[in-house]
Amino acid sequence: MRIAPLLAGSAALFGAFSVAHAQADAPYDPAQIARGEYLAKAADCAACHRTREDSGKAFVGGYVITSPMGDIVAPNITPSKTAGIGAWSFEDFDRAIRKGVRPGGAPLYPAMPYTDYQGVSDADMHALYAYFMHGVTPVDTIAPKTHLPFPFGIRAIMIPWNWVFLSHKPFIATAGLSPQAQRGQYLVQTLGHCGACHTPRNLLMAERPSKAFAGADLGGWHAPNITSDPISGVGGWGDAEIAKYLANGHVSGKGVAAGGMAEAVDNSLRYMTPADQLAIAAYLKSTTPIRDPHETRAAFNWTSPKPVPLSAYETGDNHKDQAALKDSSTTDGATLYAGACASCHGLQGQGSKDDFYAPLVGSSTTGSANPSDLVMTILTGVNRTGADGKSFMPAFAEQMNDDQVAAVANHVFNHFGRADTQVTAEQVAVMRKGGAKPLLVTAMPWLLGLGALAGLGIVAFIVLRMRKRA
Amino acid sequence: MAETFDADVIVVGSGALGSNAAYELAKAGKSVILMEAGVRIPRWKIVESYRNSSRRSNYNAPYPDMPWAHTSYDDGYIENTGSFDFHPGMLKLVGGTTWHWAAAAWRYLPVDMKLKSTYGVGRDWPIGYDELEPYYQRGEEALGVVGVDAQDQSGQNGAPSPRRSKPYPLPAEGKTYMFQALEAGLSPLGFNFIHEPVARVTQPYDGRPACAGNNNCMPVCPIGAMYSGDVHADHAVAAGAELLTDATAYKLEKGEGGKIIAVHYRTSTGADVRLTARAFIIAANGLETPKLLLISDVANSSDQVGRNLMDHSGIGMQFFADEPVWPGRGPIQQGGIFNRREGPHRRNYAAIKHALANNAPNVPVTDRLIKMGVFGPELDRRILEDASKWVDVSTVFEMLPHAENRVQPSTTRKDALGVPMLKVHYDIDDYVKAARPVAVDDFHTFVKGMNGQLIQISEGFQNRDHIMGTVIMGSDPKDSVVDGDCRTHDHKNLFLATTGVIPASGVINPTLTGVALAIRMADLIAREV
Repeated sequence: MRIAPLLAGSAALFGAFSVAHAQADAPYDPAQIARGEYLAKAADCAACHRTREDSGKAFVGGYVITSPMGDIVAPNITPSKTAGIGAWSFEDFDRAIRKGVRPGGAPLYPAMPYTDYQGVSDADMHALYAYFMHGVTPVDTIAPKTHLPFPFGIRAIMIPWNWVFLSHKPFIATAGLSPQAQRGQYLVQTLGHCGACHTPRNLLMAERPSKAFAGADLGGWHAPNITSDPISGVGGWGDAEIAKYLANGHVSGKGVAAGGMAEAVDNSLRYMTPADQLAIAAYLKSTTPIRDPHETRAAFNWTSPKPVPLSAYETGDNHKDQAALKDSSTTDGATLYAGACASCHGLQGQGSKDDFYAPLVGSSTTGSANPSDLVMTILTGVNRTGADGKSFMPAFAEQMNDDQVAAVANHVFNHFGRADTQVTAEQVAVMRKGGAKPLLVTAMPWLLGLGALAGLGIVAFIVLRMRKRA
Repeated sequence: MAETFDADVIVVGSGALGSNAAYELAKAGKSVILMEAGVRIPRWKIVESYRNSSRRSNYNAPYPDMPWAHTSYDDGYIENTGSFDFHPGMLKLVGGTTWHWAAAAWRYLPVDMKLKSTYGVGRDWPIGYDELEPYYQRGEEALGVVGVDAQDQSGQNGAPSPRRSKPYPLPAEGKTYMFQALEAGLSPLGFNFIHEPVARVTQPYDGRPACAGNNNCMPVCPIGAMYSGDVHADHAVAAGAELLTDATAYKLEKGEGGKIIAVHYRTSTGADVRLTARAFIIAANGLETPKLLLISDVANSSDQVGRNLMDHSGIGMQFFADEPVWPGRGPIQQGGIFNRREGPHRRNYAAIKHALANNAPNVPVTDRLIKMGVFGPELDRRILEDASKWVDVSTVFEMLPHAENRVQPSTTRKDALGVPMLKVHYDIDDYVKAARPVAVDDFHTFVKGMNGQLIQISEGFQNRDHIMGTVIMGSDPKDSVVDGDCRTHDHKNLFLATTGVIPASGVINPTLTGVALAIRMADLIAREV
């Protein structure tokens, strides 16, 4: 499931609201359409605007995005005139993507990352429009409507949000960066919408510019710090390593992509040109470093494993006791590791030499100060296609309970990664449910109560004033 | 007033066949209860038990053998009264015996299903290959079967056969060096090598990783690349089915109008429970299914329940190749030599399949050397050398159904629940014995063709764990138990999902056929209940 960090969504049935004045017959250059296709990949439109089933046609929508505020259904964005965006003019298209307003005036939810897309260049917008109108096969399947719970179901709440958080300014590259890094900045900040996951959000779920790319929790995972800091960020990665990671989803001695990053590699980043991948790397290496004071060593740099004695794994012949053969309640991390993990990752976490099976020593996931990504990888597995092929790990959510997941994760941290990082069964339980809810959601009943009190106060004030006047 | 039932359909047995039927029915919106005598055990636990076992050649050893849910190797669980010691390695846990199969996923040939009308021996199936073909495809998609589309699996080096409506779901794995070496050496002599289709995925598929060649398909695939029935037991639960473990069915209760009205089960703590349903599927393997019918006195108006027992009883041969061929790399089998799978000889003697076993041979190699008195550093050196050249041919024969070959409930021994254990009578007939010298001649040709050195030929018949015939399928209710839909002739709401329905055995591993029949049956039941 893709996880939306934000409020999200948007409804279907665009055709019902929009005025049919699309320039459907305007001549479009095939090169322009191809350029648009590339940009749509860079913007990862397909990640959300897909069908519920993996096998569905591109951009048909129907896929359910889980956000802290509720489930959001991705709409059909094929050029179908009845079910998709086929009747949209360029202006309609542009306003939806860069301003978050669909034809008819209803605001989109920022699961559609228009706060990032607002900086997309005019030329790229025209190429994207050419592609979506002429390069995508129209499909007349209407995606279901999104119904968020109160108060998020009221789209008008986005209007004041947009006053505060939508700048309406074009993208301006940071002066002094190399042209390559400036290109990378454009990709990262606009189409790539990297900050949607990697930048922490404020109380109203908007990205915090002062903490850009400093890492953030979402859906149980932790999108790591990708600033240029050599300890907490990617400053210790070579540019070529970052580019290779974007292409393949893994780099020897650094780490592997799982969860949302695996999807980003799979749907988007692996299709980018090597020049663009290197440009992204150059920009990330030029960002303002942000250090987490708890971290003293780069996550990939915990490379001194504590070997596990074979006696911890093979405790003796258990066949004298048949009941022991059906007892799968152990919470011994070594036992769980030997049965579930060692067949691929090796008894000492060494993985395979070609990285087909990820080494657990010298990996950003096992060296992280935050246990989330290791736990979520154990629970959900990995299913990623990169430029160099597929990578897969089965999910263990149904094979182990929370205590067992915590035990095996701690075995890995203790022996192969950062031993100071530990996780409890209670934390695993929260991650299994998709992570902690943001304050805006957990506090909403209180906020609504405050709002009602405030409203009553205003009514009372007006009534009193009117009585005085009368 | 409408009758109320505990479920639309109750499936007894959560192996590959029962679980696939349960999943299809749950997916079709039916309420389904899936019953299992054993428990649910996560894969890591079985792997851990295997790693800690001192009996690693015993494929049942890492699995629990409980007094209320015995595996077939439990001492005394199967009593034999015939000339052959019939002892297939069957398990009782969620997922069933596909936890340790080698995942061979063959289709029968059309002629296999018309043996009597073609060659005048055995029986015909009441349905034809074309009726089964779409369900073979669905079975292959369920199990994630990898295979080569364009080969003549009849072994006659002709056009691709049997007919396929679609390609295999996934491409075949590469051939091991040993397979290639033998193919290069023996093909020129006219031996046709067939690359085996297997339910061992070569790419990530349905939550399973690609096979990495752990060479441990039996007793357990450590990573779940090889299909096992728990995959669809879990899918069935996700689709809404209820899974009951520790639930040993011990009686089917007859109701009005020739229907089965309830199944009774007992738990390990002795609790008895009666559950009703509109339809019942018994999927408790080819030995336990007829046992349950016999102790319930159902479905047996033909007196054929438990009879016609067939295995692909086989023989074997080992030799040393003249140079290292490195057995034990990759999966434990990849196919073999199929010239005698089909042909007019089937009028006179059994069809033959020579499979090439690819198990790491360290244990038999070491055993042999120690028996020869080799010890010390010389033993180490010889293990390394002999294990690299070891070639193991595992041969099976086609069986014919005979009423005297049968399984019955034991009259003398019961398990902890008071449910009878098994009694088997099994003899090998002359149709098979006449094929044995042909196979032995082939063995000598193989050894000579490879410039090899014969180690041994084991002419004594061996178990191959392919249980067929015991609830035989046929069109005539007088001499068969189920019809072509696997519905019992005697009870229109009682269906049997087991390879025990197979009336003509051919030489191929029957699990995929059982799964195809189970899916076909589930489609039919979904329309009826």
